[in-house]
Amino acid sequence: MECGYEANPIHVEKEIMANPAPSAARTAAETNVKDALGHVRTAAQELHSAISDAVAKRGGATKADLEVFGQKAKAVAESAKNSMGGQSDAAKKHIKDAVTQLEATQQHVADGLKTSGQAFQTSMRQVLADARASVQNISEAVAAARTAASSKTK
Amino acid sequence: MHNYIAVVFDDAHKAYEGLHALWLLDGAGEITVHGAAVIHRDSLGAIQVDTKETHPVLGTAAGVGIGALLGALAGPAGAAVGAAGAAAIGAATGGVVGATVDLSREDTRYQALDESRFVLGLGQSAVIADVSEDWTSPIDTRMGKLGGVVYRRAKSDLEDDAWFNDYIPSSYLYPYEYIPSAYPL
Repeated sequence: MECGYEANPIHVEKEIMANPAPSAARTAAETNVKDALGHVRTAAQELHSAISDAVAKRGGATKADLEVFGQKAKAVAESAKNSMGGQSDAAKKHIKDAVTQLEATQQHVADGLKTSGQAFQTSMRQVLADARASVQNISEAVAAARTAASSKTK
Repeated sequence: MHNYIAVVFDDAHKAYEGLHALWLLDGAGEITVHGAAVIHRDSLGAIQVDTKETHPVLGTAAGVGIGALLGALAGPAGAAVGAAGAAAIGAATGGVVGATVDLSREDTRYQALDESRFVLGLGQSAVIADVSEDWTSPIDTRMGKLGGVVYRRAKSDLEDDAWFNDYIPSSYLYPYEYIPSAYPL
């Protein structure tokens, strides 16, 4: 199953409003923060999936692909920054690292747009590695947030 | 706790049911899956990794890392030979994995295959995953119901191992549920 979520901060906000809290024990604010982080994770997963598909396709990724990935990486980074409020220190650290990696993704996209041939494909692989690292950190942030929520309810 | 797990099943379809169950546990907030992949050992003993059809680059990385991880899960002796054994590992849909480690010693290859057999027998399949779990019971219970046998090691144990550190496999496990079209659930 591939992720089908668009990395759009406005879309994220609408989704959060549409999904009520799954547990009565959680406050509305807490739930919104956690849902926001969950949506950021989904968006980052989708970004990685799209990049890996583009890198792997016959003939490799195109510059048009790269431009789209740069825009999506920027949107995911913005959403990640917005999801930081109310998180534990551990989760915040992972989110910050993810934002740094998403910014690196954007930089490698910009570099790739100036190159061609083998250098372009090398940039694409760097973009893929950055995107994978950002997903890992957002996923670690989700785990930290879940652990914090779990310890609160004990 | 942050762990690497391998859940061994008797056939590939059960393994994909296990993969799906793992992501459902993630969706329910019981665990957090950071990445997962499904591997198979055929009747001749060769290990294959299911990857996206057009992703040979990922397949190569996966081969080395999964060999190392399987070796580590097999036990201390297995860790030393797991990566070397990766030469015998191919990407099921991505072509044959390149020889990215020194495989000049035939005895090392055989030893690697022999060691990883403690975890993955002939004809069996496994879900390998990088997970965070506050309790081990959600995975153990769910996988047990599906007929899976769970092997688990703390990520910190593997990261403390200087030898294994070169092969930390997080970067190639799929960070979302990926089920090839050959295995519809």
